[in-house]
Amino acid sequence: MTRYLITGARIADPASDRLYEADLRIADGFIAGIGDLDPSGEEEVIDAHGRLLAPALIDMRAHSATPGGAASAERLSQTASAAASGGIGTLILAPNGACGLSSPEDIDWLDAQALTLPVRVHGAGLATANGELNEIGLMLRAGALYLSDGGQPIADSRLVRRALSYAAGFEAWVSLRPEDAHLIADTVAHESDLSSRLGLPARPGVSERFGVERDTGLAELTGGRLILDRITTADGIAAARAARQRGLEVAITVPVSHLVFNEVDAGNFDARYRLDPPLRSEEDRLALIDALARGVVDAVVSAHTAVGSVAKANPFADAVPGTTSLHALLPALLTLVETGQLDLLSALRPVTSGPADLLGLAQGRIEEGAPADLILIDPSAPVVLGDGAVRGGAKSAFAGRRLFGKILMSFIEGAIILQP
Amino acid sequence: MGRARFAYDFPHRNLLSVGALNPLDVSMLFKRAGEHFERNRTPDKKIDALRGLSQINLFFEPSTRTLASFELAGKRLGADVVNFSAGNASIKKGESLADTAETLAAMRPDLLVVRHASAGAAAFFAEVTGISTINAGDGAHEHPSQALLDTFTLTRRWGEIGGKRIAIVGDIAHSRVVRSNVSLMNLLNAEVRLCGPSTLLPANADRWGASVFHDLDEALEGCDAVMALRIQRERMGAGLIPSEREYAALYGLTHDRLELANPDCVVMHPGPMNRGVEIDAALADDPERSVILDQVESGVAVRMAILEMLAGQAPNMRYDEGEQ
Repeated sequence: MTRYLITGARIADPASDRLYEADLRIADGFIAGIGDLDPSGEEEVIDAHGRLLAPALIDMRAHSATPGGAASAERLSQTASAAASGGIGTLILAPNGACGLSSPEDIDWLDAQALTLPVRVHGAGLATANGELNEIGLMLRAGALYLSDGGQPIADSRLVRRALSYAAGFEAWVSLRPEDAHLIADTVAHESDLSSRLGLPARPGVSERFGVERDTGLAELTGGRLILDRITTADGIAAARAARQRGLEVAITVPVSHLVFNEVDAGNFDARYRLDPPLRSEEDRLALIDALARGVVDAVVSAHTAVGSVAKANPFADAVPGTTSLHALLPALLTLVETGQLDLLSALRPVTSGPADLLGLAQGRIEEGAPADLILIDPSAPVVLGDGAVRGGAKSAFAGRRLFGKILMSFIEGAIILQP
Repeated sequence: MGRARFAYDFPHRNLLSVGALNPLDVSMLFKRAGEHFERNRTPDKKIDALRGLSQINLFFEPSTRTLASFELAGKRLGADVVNFSAGNASIKKGESLADTAETLAAMRPDLLVVRHASAGAAAFFAEVTGISTINAGDGAHEHPSQALLDTFTLTRRWGEIGGKRIAIVGDIAHSRVVRSNVSLMNLLNAEVRLCGPSTLLPANADRWGASVFHDLDEALEGCDAVMALRIQRERMGAGLIPSEREYAALYGLTHDRLELANPDCVVMHPGPMNRGVEIDAALADDPERSVILDQVESGVAVRMAILEMLAGQAPNMRYDEGEQ
């Protein structure tokens, strides 16, 4: 295995909250040394002066073709390649309508596939189906990193209680999309002045707060470990913080799309911006950024969903929600840094040590002995995002966006998987 | 040298939203609609302004009167008119709406009239096909030709609607007619009032440029026109209103209630009516009060003007200050 010595890089390590200049040695897939290092002569030296070295990203929520899912516009290998190009080193697929992962066999399948993929791929297991618990224990034993409601709120509070309670016995996290299932039924937009003028069926922001309140209440009741999945409103953030102040162990994730776009982006009925949850108000977007700056958010997720071009080729309300976003995760966050809204470590933490600490992963940090999952980046380089989509896929919501942050090189387990 | 003479060419190829129109566009449309209106009352109704052009009426939602109105309008202008009532058949067959649009575009029509249950559908057709498109109702978004014919009806009666007070009563939240009408009436400086139970009124409707009322008697005070909207029976099942009886008692228009409005207040309805619910039968049929049939008659004339002007075939495509 090739050894590398990366010299003169500025190292950003959110785990230790440090930003410093040093050399870094990679050997046997791990970080073998950090400091003022001399070349040993048996390693490839990479001059990284003026570049930023950060942990490769960990994306806690993406979707791709998996057993039991509906037809996907993208194969798993394509999703993994897109993740690699986006600087993601660990990709966690979560079940949703189009992504299966509801049995231990599904998780095993994913593990087997992962062997041939350029990035680390793990799965989250679907906690319930048809009003009953799935085999939570066996899925966890097979390697599921957490459990999920499938991305849509479970209306039945008793079932949610049981899922949280059962998973608590394994100290496993349960990811719930906090929303009132009845208030959001048949809606496609955020309830606001804009959506009411457009005549779009819309859900009130308060529905997310109700969801947070119910789910944190049930976590309190059961002692369950709760991930509040894809919080998108100021109210939702406030309710989640209130639960934490009561001493509850709840994690918060935020979708990258909602850091970049607001409801006005969808205001011309552009189906590319038909997302779930729907794009919210500008106040909500700013509240999410503020929550990032305050360190309230554990993970920013891509929620990457490759929608087929046919499924998107409909009027806004009839288009399938979702967008490709693996290519946007890092630039979206670095743009907040470049524009002075966020400091570098706060921007990187929710895509590195944040999810790593939550799920007990060894990667996502730069320290001796940690896996050498690293990215070398130019954080200030302007980029124009493309589709991040495969042939036959719909145009990305991010296509054409001008952001900052270019990935120059990417290492997973000490091997270069991406270089110019 | 005097100041340059102002001239303006009607610029629109699509009618998707009232918001795209300025007052001059509206007056050009109305001028031409007035000519059609008069001709439609003679035995020789047909002209050949759109001869050689094809018009497809593409209705994904059931409609009788709007469809008939657009069909007659096209035919009286000499266009070849085809009606395509799709239900949601093509969607059920797994075809995207873009496929449907491209298929129809390949038949080379010149005008598309689109009605669809989803907001933005007409704009979607215009974008995918590049063909002149008229929005004949897209979800709860807009129904611009209805607003134009409503305002045309009032303009014919009053000369202009600026300064008049108009109340719209009923299911504001789900009404595309309201959204188009509020925009248009605002554009022409009328005062608009919206009235209905809270469950049928968006919380922020007061920001549309209209004042909001929950009490019909208050809303009617000093009104010059009042428009009742059709109350859909399925709204009751959805728990938005308790019963037809309660709705009729609180929001139904009657002769008695109209006493609170101006003495010559007229009553409008975009149809089809639920007599005895949102409007009392006797009031709907009162020729002194009701302009409901005038609206229908105006509808054909206004739609003729719309089709003709979007196709660039009206004689008054240019407004010239010096000629007025």
